[in-house]
Amino acid sequence: MTQSSEEQQRGFRRHGDNAFIAAFSQSESEVLINLVEQIIELLGERKDNHSDDPLAVMVGITSHDSPPEDDVLLRLLPNAYADQVDASEFRRYTEATLRTKKTAHAMSMRIDLKSATDGCVEVDRDGANAWLGAMNDIRLALGVRLKVEENSHEDLELLAPDDPLRGVYAVYGWLGWLQESLIMALMDQAL
Amino acid sequence: MVKIDEKIDEAVKEIFSSDRPWITIVWDDPVNLMSYVTYVLMELFGFTREKAHELMMKVHTEGKAVVSFGSREEMEHDVARLHEYGLWATLQREDQNA
Repeated sequence: MTQSSEEQQRGFRRHGDNAFIAAFSQSESEVLINLVEQIIELLGERKDNHSDDPLAVMVGITSHDSPPEDDVLLRLLPNAYADQVDASEFRRYTEATLRTKKTAHAMSMRIDLKSATDGCVEVDRDGANAWLGAMNDIRLALGVRLKVEENSHEDLELLAPDDPLRGVYAVYGWLGWLQESLIMALMDQAL
Repeated sequence: MVKIDEKIDEAVKEIFSSDRPWITIVWDDPVNLMSYVTYVLMELFGFTREKAHELMMKVHTEGKAVVSFGSREEMEHDVARLHEYGLWATLQREDQNA
């Protein structure tokens, strides 16, 4: 786990009993929309092959019983058991639902950004939770690409200016800070 | 073959130990924010902030923590909800080595 660094920006703040607001610049908004759309696309790439079985569709059984080969998808859709046989069976019955829920979080965040007036986003508690889930999925995806398992924050801070990962790391840090601001706003309310 | 024997063995064990509790474990992850893990545990399990913080610190310092226990079905439900919010969770029998 990690702690986000504090910066003198605004991020999300509580507004009344059940509203959380944040104002984004156009470029910030574009970055967030781009990232969240990539998550939606990635989750959508893992298609099911059960269209010939309406019952399977109805109860959400996917034909997938092996974990995704893509590292990012594997982090978003992890195994529930250490045992491979149990993990496969669980995946077969639950992965489609998990993908649907993650996609719904991402779509909710995307719509909030797309429909924002002057970059001002306002969400209620449920909307805030969707944002947290979606922002976390983006951070998990970026974290895999940045190999945060192996690279320390010091390594990542020292990336060369022309290293394309440097920009990715900056976005990753910013998202952590944004996520933290929303959590703090939500926790204030919970007290 | 060996695999089938193991499966039968497992099924037999299941029948005779259906009341043995299962547990949900949350594992440490370098991406998830400490505050986020605390918040998700509060939201999903209704823990107080203190309890959620204590569990989060256990995950952070010891690499993992048991966050719930009960029937296998209940633990599968808990793991699915934790996965929805991006926490790295697995379930297993309480007496099984992680």
